[in-house]
Amino acid sequence: MSFFELLIQSLPLLMQGLALTLELAAVSLLIAMVIGIAASLMGMSKNPILRAINRAFVAIIRGTPLLVQGFFIYFGITGILGIRMTAFTAGVIALSLNAGGYMSEIFRGGIQAVDPGQTEAARSLGLSKRQTTWRIVIPQAIRICIPSVVNQWCITIKDTSIISVLGFAELTKIGQQIIARTFRSFEVWIMVGVLYFIVIYLLTVLARIVERKVSLD
Amino acid sequence: MIKVEIRGLCKSFGKHEVLKGIDCDIETGEVVCVIGPSGSGKSTFLRCINCLEQPTSGTIKVDGHIMDENAKNIDELREDVGMVFQQFNLFPHLSVLKNITIAPVLRKKMSEDEAKKVAMELLARVGLADKADAMPRSLSGGQKQRVAIARALAMRPGLMLFDEPTSALDPEMVGEVLDVMRQLAEEGMTMVCVTHEMGFARQVADRVIFVDGGVIAEEGTPSEVFGNPKSQRLKDFLNAVAEA
Repeated sequence: MSFFELLIQSLPLLMQGLALTLELAAVSLLIAMVIGIAASLMGMSKNPILRAINRAFVAIIRGTPLLVQGFFIYFGITGILGIRMTAFTAGVIALSLNAGGYMSEIFRGGIQAVDPGQTEAARSLGLSKRQTTWRIVIPQAIRICIPSVVNQWCITIKDTSIISVLGFAELTKIGQQIIARTFRSFEVWIMVGVLYFIVIYLLTVLARIVERKVSLD
Repeated sequence: MIKVEIRGLCKSFGKHEVLKGIDCDIETGEVVCVIGPSGSGKSTFLRCINCLEQPTSGTIKVDGHIMDENAKNIDELREDVGMVFQQFNLFPHLSVLKNITIAPVLRKKMSEDEAKKVAMELLARVGLADKADAMPRSLSGGQKQRVAIARALAMRPGLMLFDEPTSALDPEMVGEVLDVMRQLAEEGMTMVCVTHEMGFARQVADRVIFVDGGVIAEEGTPSEVFGNPKSQRLKDFLNAVAEA
C-alpha cells in the first residue's frame, strides 16, 4: 500500500479522532477560562483564606503531572465516592482543572502588570473601584494576557493526547489503532503530527491577527 | 474662603516616615507651588490631598469634607479634585476623546454627545482639537500632558493638583504645558503644583512652599522665598537648583 493509499484509507478515522480531540480541548478550555478567572480573583482577594486556597490549587496543579491528575480523577475519585463517569468526563475535568490553574496565574500576572498609575488616574477622576477595574484595568490586562493564553491553549490541545490513556479515541489513540492494524508507524505518526500541527498553527495565526488588531503599541 | 485645610498630616511607609506633621491652608483661587529636594515628601503631600495616599495621621479637608480612602463618598469627593501626573497616565486603550469623556459619562451621567461637546471645548483650549480621534501612543509627551490636563478639567474640578507635570518631558515641550497651566491660573483655578520649574513658580504662584525632611521648612510669596530665603536649607536648595 502506498503512502497515499494509506492516507486516504486512514484519513476518515483520523478526522474522527481529531474531532474528538477538538471537542475535548474546546470544552476543557472553556471551563478552564472560567476556573482561571475565578481562581485569579481569589488569588488577588483581600481575604487571606481565598488567597491560600488559590495558592494551594496552583501549587498542586503545577506540582503533579497531568497524567497523575487524570488517573486520580478517573480511578481514585470515582472509586472512593463509588460514582461512575465516562473517560471523556474525567478527561474534561482533569484538563480544565490543569489549564485553569495555569490560566489563573496568567490572568493574575496580566492584571498586576497594568501600570498602577492607570488605577491612580482613574480613581483621581472619581471612578469607583469597580469602574476602574472593568473600564481601565481589565481591558489592558486582556491585551497583556493574549500571548500567554494562546500559549496555554496550544499546550492544552496537545495535552488531550496524554489524557487519552483514560480510554477514548481521540487523535493519538486512533493513530495507535491504525498502526496496530497496518504496522505503518512512520507514516501514521507523521499524519497524526501534521494534523496537530495544522490546528495549532491556524490557532496561532488567528491569535496573531487578533493581537495585532487590539495592540496598543 | 478656605478650599483645603490640612492639619497635622503625617505619612509613613512602613518604618519610613515621609511626612512629619504638615499644617497648611489653601484659599480658593490660590496657586501654590511646592518645591523641595527629591525625597522630601512633596509628592506624597500632594497625593494625600486626594487620598491616593491615605494619611497615617492628621486630617485633610477639601471644602470642609474629610478626605478618607474608606469614606463612602470618597469617589464623589475626588470628582472635585483633578490630578495631573508626571507620567501622564493617559488610558492607552482609549482615544484622546474617550480619555476625556469617560469620567463625565460614568460619574456625572452626562450623555455621550454632551460629554463630547465639553471634551472638544477643552481640547480646543489646550490646542489639540485636531487630535480628538488619535490614540495616546501617537502623541508627543507635551501633547499627552495637555490631554491629561483636559481630562482632569472635564470633571469641572474646584481644585487641581499637579505632580511634577513637566519632569518627564523633553525640554522643548515644557513650555506648552506650562502655558496651559499659566492660563488656568489666570482663570482663577485653585492649584497646587509640585514642580522643579522655578521660573514658573516665581511667575505664577501666589505662595511657594518649601518642603524638606517631611515638614514645611519655609513658605511665603515667590519674592520672599526666592528673593530673601531665610533658612540655610532653602538657600542651599536654591543654589543647587540654580547651578543645574
